[in-house]
Amino acid sequence: MKRIFALMVVALLLAGCAPKPYWTLTDQKNHTVTSTSFEFGVSDGWVRTTEPRTWERLEIDGAQRTILLESMTVTRDGTGLQAMTITRRYPDTAFPTIKKKSVPTQLAPEVADLYVAELRKRTGLERLAVLSNKPAKIDGKPGFQLVMQYKNEDGLRIQIVSYGFADKTGFYTLTYRAPYLYYYERDLKVFNDLVGSFHQLKGAFDPPPEIPGWAKIFT
Amino acid sequence: MPTTNKQPLLRASWALLLALLLAGCATTEGVSSFKSADDTGNLRESEQRLWHEAESYDDTLERSGQVYDQARATAYVQGVMDRLFPEFKGKITVHLYDSTDLNAFAMFNGSVYVNIGMLARMENEAQLAALLGHEATHFIEKHGFQKRVSAKNASAFAETGVPFSRLAAVSSISGFSRDLEREADAKGFERMVKAGYDPREAHKLFQYLADEVQALHIEAPYFFSSHPDLSERIEEYKRLSAQYKGGGRLETETYNAIMAPIKLDALRKDIGQDRYESVILVMEDGSKSRYYPPAGYYYLGEAYTRRDQKNDPAKALEAWKKAERQAPKFAPTYMRLGVYYMKSGNKKLARHYFQQYLGLAPKDATDRGYAQQYMSSL
Repeated sequence: MKRIFALMVVALLLAGCAPKPYWTLTDQKNHTVTSTSFEFGVSDGWVRTTEPRTWERLEIDGAQRTILLESMTVTRDGTGLQAMTITRRYPDTAFPTIKKKSVPTQLAPEVADLYVAELRKRTGLERLAVLSNKPAKIDGKPGFQLVMQYKNEDGLRIQIVSYGFADKTGFYTLTYRAPYLYYYERDLKVFNDLVGSFHQLKGAFDPPPEIPGWAKIFT
Repeated sequence: MPTTNKQPLLRASWALLLALLLAGCATTEGVSSFKSADDTGNLRESEQRLWHEAESYDDTLERSGQVYDQARATAYVQGVMDRLFPEFKGKITVHLYDSTDLNAFAMFNGSVYVNIGMLARMENEAQLAALLGHEATHFIEKHGFQKRVSAKNASAFAETGVPFSRLAAVSSISGFSRDLEREADAKGFERMVKAGYDPREAHKLFQYLADEVQALHIEAPYFFSSHPDLSERIEEYKRLSAQYKGGGRLETETYNAIMAPIKLDALRKDIGQDRYESVILVMEDGSKSRYYPPAGYYYLGEAYTRRDQKNDPAKALEAWKKAERQAPKFAPTYMRLGVYYMKSGNKKLARHYFQQYLGLAPKDATDRGYAQQYMSSL
């Protein structure tokens, strides 16, 4: 009996140690995805990251740096086929590779230009083409809607649509990327619904977090 | 009886011996250059393989949209190549490569890629001839193959599974050995002179690179590689050209007229990837900017905005005004001036410029919606 009890205790302890799954399937109980500073809705059958990503490693001027952010990803068939990513970047590191900050007074097309320059520089995709750049409202805030495209090495056209805005809490982007062939059009409505459901939370106005101690070692 | 722990050592010895034997086989002896177009049909098996792999890489570049589509400029550059190497007409094919890096590269199958950034920076046909002469020499002298053989990596390729095509291009971009580069410099220069171009233009090519390296704080220059270093090659070209009296074909006007759209597009692309130092480098210096269309001043204004130093807002306004005066049909300038005056509270002028922009910009201009939005809010 004692042994069974001990085993149960061990099993419970191990269960407590089990990490959360990276992806969570969306069903009727968890349509709304809540992060620290934003919230948005996801359709049934889609999967999304369970926890927000809070940092990334970037090469800037040949050196690796840790950049804080808040980012969640949604997909249905895998991120290679469709990826919807909602990201908040902090004002001082809004455009880290081109070393530009976001300022609330920046106009939407100015923010869009910086964003595209950041994407091109970061990915080395010089040929990333901007197909359209229009004013848009995201959670009632003035922003941009960019449609971009590039061809990968197999000649497959990849289309990206990004909504974005900057305010005093940082720079936000809601991005959908998919092969133009078949997937892009098919899942665009899901993305538009996601954009329509997006809103900021009070957590966005909290002070930015510190870089974790371990990350400072590399920075 | 051998003990088992000796087996790995034995295997390693055999592997080492085999590697040495293979390395011994890898020699540049017997690699003969192409004498004429007919020679390209008489390749050894290993060369044929490289040729086909290079063709496959051509396809990849084309498929992935990395080849810059500008028929007039492509035909013009091809014409200069054919003038330099008439015996290879139809065997050396020039492509424009959609990148603003100052670069060019030749592949083993005779494909020569010239980056639009390089085309934008050059001032005349003579400089283009120097560049093409150099790159085509890499092909004719089979430098790609020599590099591979002399690196003794032919067998390594098969083992690592690294596609040659990719490495071939990288090799070309990252440069060849000091000797091969010197050979390409000298033989390319000979061709340039023989075709009647002004030899005093050749060294300027390297001067642009040296300027760019300094402006962009680049540690190792690309194109033609860093071996021998740029200053040495500038001096070498000057020494070579000193043997000639000078004079010869320049074709400055023709070159700049044909390259005008590419020059403007290269500035746009530089701004689009935040390479504002490069734009300031060429457009701030009158001796360089005179080879660019006047609408280039719009991009100079954009570059100052990106740099954002103490006096840059005033400099940006001055550049946009210059673009307005010298290129009055260039729509983006008016959008920028509209935004500038809107931000500084001058609604009347802002409205005027937005109206101008909407009148001049194409109906499908990407940022038309913003001008309409701002007009209605003023």
